[in-house]
Amino acid sequence: MKSNQALEDGRVTPEFVENERKKRNRRESLTGYAMISPWLIGFFGLIIGPMIYSFILSFTDYDMLSAPQWIGVSNYVELFTNDPRFIKSLQATLTFVAIAIPLKLAFSLFLALLFNTGRKGSGMFTTIYYVPSIIGGSVAISVVWRQMFGRDGAVNTVLDAWGLNTISFFGNSTAAMSILIILIVWQFGAPMIIFLAGLRQIPQDLYEAASVDGAGTIRKFMKVTIPMLTPIIFFNLVMETINGFMTFTQAFLVTGGGPRDSTLFYAVYLYEVAFEFLNMGYASAMAWILLVIIGAFTLLIFKSSTFWVHYD
Amino acid sequence: MKKWKKWMGLSFLCLMVAGCSPGGPDDTNDDAGGTDDSGSASEEGQTTIRFSWWGNDERHDLTQEMIELFEEKNPDISVEPEYTGWDSYWERLTTQAAGENLPAVVQMDNSKLTEYISSGLALDLNNLIDEGTINMEDVNDVYQDMLVVDESTYAISAGSNGLATIYNQDLFEEYDINLEPGYTYEDLEEEMARLSEEEGEGFWGYDFVKAEYETFFHYARQFDQHFYNQEGTGVGFENETLENFLSIVTAWIDEGTATPHDVTVEINESGESMVANEEAGIASAASNGLIGVQTLAEADLGLNVMPNAADGEKSGNWVRPSMSFMISSNVSEEKQEAAAKLIDFITNDQEANEILRAERGVPIAAQVRENLVEEVDPTVQETFEFLEVLEERAGDPEPLPPPGEAEVRAAFDRMLESVKYDDMTIEEGVESFIQEAEQILNQ
Repeated sequence: MKSNQALEDGRVTPEFVENERKKRNRRESLTGYAMISPWLIGFFGLIIGPMIYSFILSFTDYDMLSAPQWIGVSNYVELFTNDPRFIKSLQATLTFVAIAIPLKLAFSLFLALLFNTGRKGSGMFTTIYYVPSIIGGSVAISVVWRQMFGRDGAVNTVLDAWGLNTISFFGNSTAAMSILIILIVWQFGAPMIIFLAGLRQIPQDLYEAASVDGAGTIRKFMKVTIPMLTPIIFFNLVMETINGFMTFTQAFLVTGGGPRDSTLFYAVYLYEVAFEFLNMGYASAMAWILLVIIGAFTLLIFKSSTFWVHYD
Repeated sequence: MKKWKKWMGLSFLCLMVAGCSPGGPDDTNDDAGGTDDSGSASEEGQTTIRFSWWGNDERHDLTQEMIELFEEKNPDISVEPEYTGWDSYWERLTTQAAGENLPAVVQMDNSKLTEYISSGLALDLNNLIDEGTINMEDVNDVYQDMLVVDESTYAISAGSNGLATIYNQDLFEEYDINLEPGYTYEDLEEEMARLSEEEGEGFWGYDFVKAEYETFFHYARQFDQHFYNQEGTGVGFENETLENFLSIVTAWIDEGTATPHDVTVEINESGESMVANEEAGIASAASNGLIGVQTLAEADLGLNVMPNAADGEKSGNWVRPSMSFMISSNVSEEKQEAAAKLIDFITNDQEANEILRAERGVPIAAQVRENLVEEVDPTVQETFEFLEVLEERAGDPEPLPPPGEAEVRAAFDRMLESVKYDDMTIEEGVESFIQEAEQILNQ
């Protein structure tokens, strides 16, 4: 009522202004929340909710067919003390991440450098080279991969034609791991595009100054490009490491975790436990350990960044 | 920045956790577009039941045609089909079980049934059978034995099959190989060594098709032992039995008489068949597997029983349901009754079986089987005839595997792989496998 009076008087009191602003703020934030509500519903309903549920399940014995039984931290104890396959899957995943991710980053940086010349047509090539990243994670590509490296597949046919020994890619641990690494490195598109954007941000005068000082191509790359690119390398490293730990489709479809569990990546083992052995509680515990592991590695990269990432 | 990082990591994982949580995409009926186009809107006084199965397109079509006939004959019941392929079937079914939303009629696999029984999800069908809602008078017990636990019938066989071997008839004739039922591993080895030698590189006599696990069921039974003990708490065979079996397997592989492991794995995963490819002479199989494998092969294929152990005392053979139908215990009594009618229809109705064409296995009702045998393809007929051979030679019924079977089987396959690659000796492998199996089964 006060505000109405204020209007009739033709005068604007400070309370009136304050009130109106509050009202508008409230309305605005309400509109804002309403606007993002589809995302909010998804976030709480599909992400936070299931996460909390999986956390609770990780303390239970749950086969999905009967009600969960509370068993405390037994799942976690079992994982660390009495599950050789858990350890094996960790080893396989770490080996994979340690080799595939640096390779992928190096390769995508190399290609980004090639495309950064600004020559005619480099844009088209960038697009073409991005394609594997779009389709690489798909089931179809995994199936193609399996065919290609199969006993009578393209690769062995070529080896045979050159008079070389054919390789049983799915019967040999090293070979199986290698084809998965190649498949992941092949999906270099996303980091490549980001590197390319980063390269274009580097001021040309730095290179000019370096040239004046007599620096050659390699020296310019080491002393100008790399330091200027460290924030981008850092970003790509974090993203790719996280993705690397969660690699599933490729390993599940191409090697199925074999031979002899040598490519039993963490996510593949998790799936097996959850949906083939119906140990949903145990699998939930595994998912949470993976969260901690990924968190720890990300934290490590962040901590180390003070030593090698330059922001100016 | 730091917070942002945490959230990023967190949300990525959530995505994964969410992806692995129950409630994946609903992919039923994705290829058939709708459950029913002829008035599935249930009318007054109609009972609607859901019926789920896994299979390929052929089974989907045949089964839906059968359902239409059933609805015609039972206007008071409406059936909603739910069907998918094998892999997504179990994910879907466990999710439905977790949500207490199982379909009334569920197609079941022998390896999974005990888990549903022990969780109280499978209805005891004895009453419905005694009342005659499901008429089992024309069905020989041998077809149902596996599905009866402590005198309660928990499922009705959808068709029978048995462990068998599929062989290349043309090739066997060419080399004059004659293996009469009752032949032993030694007989087989001798012939296959000869065949492998004559056919040369890239050919192996025997293919275990990654089915050493099942083959060993057959092997152990001959020594009056079972894979699992009666209580389902551990294995039911002696170390020596498995050791002997594994020495046969590894010796054959070393000699080149059986396919090397990597080849078997690859062929098996790509859905091909070594016998159909004419890269192997004979392979382990389920008897109704012949129908599919024959379509891939140029040569004429035949069925035989599995080899016997030379010193075996009993029959290793048994007739088993290739799959079965259970009724969910958490649907209303009215729906249970309707579900029973549907199962009875599938089991005993002549017209229904003419539509279904024994695609799920050899029909269990004698009259149906007799009438149908004339109408099916020669290959299917062969599976009918083989089952008669098997029935004559069948030994004791085999109990259902206990809950946790999937995990034990995976452990068995891993152990076998290690033994084949010489990571472990046979004795070590057997010892560690038995321990692992006990640990899994006692969880």
